[in-house]
Amino acid sequence: MAPVLREEDERNENIPKLLCQMDNHLACVNCVRWSNNGLYLASGGDDKLVMVWKRAAFIGPSTVFGSSSKLANVEQWRCVMILRNHTGDVMDVAWSPHDVWLASCSVDNTIVIWNARKFPEIVMTLKGHTGLVKGLTWDPVGKYIASQADDRSLKVWRTMDWQLETNITKPFSECGGTTHVLRLSWSPDGQYLVSAHAMNNSGPTAQIIERDGWKTNMDFVGHRKAVTVVKFNPKIFKKKQKNGSTPKPSCPYCCCAVGSKDRSLSVWLTSLKRPLVVIHDLFDKSIMDITWTLNGLGLLVCSMDGTVAFLDFSQDELGDPLNEEEKNAIHQNIYGKSLAITMESQLSSTIIENPEMLKYQQERQGNQNPDGAQGIGPENQTPKLTNVLNGESLEDIRKNLLKKQVETRTADGRRRITPLCIAQLDTGDFSPALFNSVPILPGSSASTQLTPQISSDSSTANSLGLRPSHDPTTTSPNKTAEDNKDSGTAAVNSIGMKSNLLLTSASKIEPMKALDSRFTERSKATPGVTSVPLTIGITPLDRVKDSSSVKEPKGKDETSSDSEDKTMVKSMAKRKGEMEGAEVVEKRKKGRPRKDAKMMPFPQTPVSLEKEPSRLTTPIAVLKLPTPSIQKSFSTQVSTDGVTYLEVENEVSMVFGSRLSQLKWSREGREWDALLPSRIIIAAGSSDVVAVACEDRTLSVFTACGRRLIPSIILPVPMSALHCSGHFVMALTASAMLSVWDVQKQTALVKNESLNPILSGTDATVSQSFLTQQGVAVVSLSNGKTYCFNSSLETWNLIADKQDSLVQCTDFRNCMSAQDALGSMGPLALTQGRNLSAGRLASRLSSTPHHLQQGMTLAFLEKQLSSALILLSASEYRHWLLIYARFLVNEGYELRLRELCRDLLGPVHKSSSSSWEPTVLGLRKRDLLTEVLPVIGQNLRFQRLFTEYQDQLELLRLK
Amino acid sequence: MAKVQVLNVAVLDNPSPFGNPFQFEVTFECMEDLPEDLEWKIIYVGSAESEEYDQTLDSVLVGPVPAGRHMFVFQADAPNTGLIPESDAVGVTVVLITCTYRGQEFIRIGYYVNNEYTDTELRENPPLKPDYGQLQRNILASNPRVTRFHINWEGCAEKMEDSENVDPAPNTMLPPSCTPGKAPPLGLVPDNSMDCL
Repeated sequence: MAPVLREEDERNENIPKLLCQMDNHLACVNCVRWSNNGLYLASGGDDKLVMVWKRAAFIGPSTVFGSSSKLANVEQWRCVMILRNHTGDVMDVAWSPHDVWLASCSVDNTIVIWNARKFPEIVMTLKGHTGLVKGLTWDPVGKYIASQADDRSLKVWRTMDWQLETNITKPFSECGGTTHVLRLSWSPDGQYLVSAHAMNNSGPTAQIIERDGWKTNMDFVGHRKAVTVVKFNPKIFKKKQKNGSTPKPSCPYCCCAVGSKDRSLSVWLTSLKRPLVVIHDLFDKSIMDITWTLNGLGLLVCSMDGTVAFLDFSQDELGDPLNEEEKNAIHQNIYGKSLAITMESQLSSTIIENPEMLKYQQERQGNQNPDGAQGIGPENQTPKLTNVLNGESLEDIRKNLLKKQVETRTADGRRRITPLCIAQLDTGDFSPALFNSVPILPGSSASTQLTPQISSDSSTANSLGLRPSHDPTTTSPNKTAEDNKDSGTAAVNSIGMKSNLLLTSASKIEPMKALDSRFTERSKATPGVTSVPLTIGITPLDRVKDSSSVKEPKGKDETSSDSEDKTMVKSMAKRKGEMEGAEVVEKRKKGRPRKDAKMMPFPQTPVSLEKEPSRLTTPIAVLKLPTPSIQKSFSTQVSTDGVTYLEVENEVSMVFGSRLSQLKWSREGREWDALLPSRIIIAAGSSDVVAVACEDRTLSVFTACGRRLIPSIILPVPMSALHCSGHFVMALTASAMLSVWDVQKQTALVKNESLNPILSGTDATVSQSFLTQQGVAVVSLSNGKTYCFNSSLETWNLIADKQDSLVQCTDFRNCMSAQDALGSMGPLALTQGRNLSAGRLASRLSSTPHHLQQGMTLAFLEKQLSSALILLSASEYRHWLLIYARFLVNEGYELRLRELCRDLLGPVHKSSSSSWEPTVLGLRKRDLLTEVLPVIGQNLRFQRLFTEYQDQLELLRLK
Repeated sequence: MAKVQVLNVAVLDNPSPFGNPFQFEVTFECMEDLPEDLEWKIIYVGSAESEEYDQTLDSVLVGPVPAGRHMFVFQADAPNTGLIPESDAVGVTVVLITCTYRGQEFIRIGYYVNNEYTDTELRENPPLKPDYGQLQRNILASNPRVTRFHINWEGCAEKMEDSENVDPAPNTMLPPSCTPGKAPPLGLVPDNSMDCL
């Protein structure tokens, strides 16, 4: 900003004016916005793209090859992300408070909310406008986002669930005609939203909308044509205290700049009824964008005419800006503590309230630092563009490059050169850690000031009109305006000249020479070139000084020094229009097959049930399960380990006319056998017991050593399936009755329970059944549903459903820690294993609305937790509990988190009336809480909760 | 956006005798690892009149190209004099460096080349049959013409009938008959290039 502020600096050739020229957009750039942390720049253009730029730590200045020679890029801004989703021109972009999200709106009538921490992830597409969306603004508190569109409506959306909060149409019903942009703005205290182009009594206004009830009672009146841009000063002001006068308590107020199609600018204070200042005819054309400097005293305005004006205010004029703490205090007063989106990383200003928390946070930091992800302080900011030259200078390398470079021949005899890598890139790192890091500032003082000083905006357009004189005593706004006006016109002239040149170059300059045409035509020989020869980017500006013989209008050279890339893009677009579509900017790349909006929200993953070559799968009459046929001999492996085998040989010997069958058990050389009078149909075993079902409907149970445990159990019908696990035996009969016995305690856990409830009404069959270590019977059906029988409730419970949309749309990957990712082992995983991975895949592909996904994930995780509980699977319960806790913490479900903690902690003081169980599935609940608390501690927002339970746990430990 | 940005091309061994090989030191930057090689070509325009006389001096594959900044020297033999129309041997012509990815050209860098006799007498009275041994090639290195094309970086170019890519209407061609010793008028911009002025 220095050359803008001081003429002296402007004249100083050593101070760079143009810092970087980015020429990657393929069409007119409509909007550029700095992220709140100043690290990123987002730009949106007519090429339907949003690009996110980041300052690259770089070797040094470089030029855009082939462009006008002298202009080196002092700073390197690299496009780190291209966001493709819009199907029309992107009109406005906006970073949410704390840079959590980036919103973009487009003439495709939609607003896209991007996850700024995980580009290019789309959080939500807001649909509802029926016209071109031309402006966006975030509520400074982060609770809402407002948009204004050509459909004569202003819509406010909630960030909680991305649904419409209110739709305001009344002030806009009279609006006719269109403006290029409708940039609305939210006041820094969050109380007022001011729209662009509204009408009141057929006069153009900027409508003031109160947050409280979305009332539309006030407006800013006075502009003669439609208001295009409204921009609140980021600062809140209070009345300047005059020396000597008694300090009167006065309300803080906000300051707002309004730009209009009538080429004039007005600046308002919310404490005054009249505008603070109105500057007429500031430009030759409509105002396009306005931004305030971060200190609140500078105002940059740009216009369609290609110029930018800078206005300098004094504190006498605007008042004393409140500092950040005072501003926060105001927010605190109005909105309480519930700043809707506060995440750990942004809470740098949040005071850590207790030493335990501090310690915990420090430990976390400490753990993170060795990963090298978070450098503290500039000295740790090693440039990411690491030189890989091993100490050799670039010059040395260049001298020997030809000799050194590796050249090979491909199979078809072509030369292949392996290029020498001279530097690595630092693109694409969008890790939150980097997001929080300090920007890397260059040595040049001029450029160090730029990034922090300009607030989160810049202009859409054109060359910078530099303020010609720096006069510190200039306090009158009118004078400032005059100055700016002058500079503005000056710049206009040059721009005008420039565009004339551009527009006429095609017609006036004599027909192209054959040679010249060769530069730009694509070679016909190149196979597979499909698009119209499209020339984007830069053909070099001729270097007047380099080649003496070049005939070149002098004006070009003069203006080029302060032209921005956008000028070029803009003029390109102009020319494009005139060239009758010969150079249609044709985007052939239709975007990555990324999250596709057209995907069904609930993608039906093909349910490929793993049909076991089971003896049970053949379809049968309802409630008649198949029974295995009798085989001469068979063997089974006892499931729990790989070394135990059961071998059955039917009718091995005849004794006194009766046929005996033999059951043979073997493990690592040890073996025993038992003889049974009837042919054996099914045999099953566990580490503790072996059970066999015989043709005569008897069930025999042996210990692992072959001792008969109980006399033969007589079954009413033949056996369909038999399982052993631990000392539990599960029998599923052909009449679809289930029994589970604990043969050690000799009790029945499940007594002849019918499968009727789960089988009736479907034509599904039992595809699989098993018994968990804890004696819970699990039955999977061919329709993908899995049930278990809960013996205490005496109910069948659905524990898995492969077609459940909840399962397929959940997304809790970011709640999984490294060891969690390996998955949990247990009966739940056994029934769901395939299912879960399918769900994860689906969630990656679908673009389920975030809030919906959030809800589904919550429901899913809770289901998992209760399923694990009912399956008595302790390890899985713990696994899901931790994921659930992480999810609650990440998504900010405080109530549920609180309930969870309360249940885990139980009553601190013993009372007989309490029905609280200190353990769950054999896990001590308070131990679980000890594991859950660090998860809670990760989010500073829950520090009270953390402290509360940490203290109580500590108290209990001391008891 | 292009995945490969050419940062610089340095013309080595310039000016040099006509028969010397061309040497260009190319520095480029790649945004992400490229699964396929880049193909670079040097095309020498034998005559402005017609593409017939274009000679592809050489084409090389450059790879593998991981993300980062890379350099290589592209050397190619001098043009075959037998293919150059005698009338066009002396004077201004063009050398083109093109780069294609997956068969799609995304950048074309053009240099004006001035071929002239070093000997003053020859310069004044050029022989009818060009004496290539005496010719000096001077590439106007300070003035590259860069044209960038938008291509599909992700996949291969869809096959299209290239035969339809007919040359634009024959330009009124300006023979490169500029007086020796004088650089050609370069202040003009091809009309189908989008320039930054």
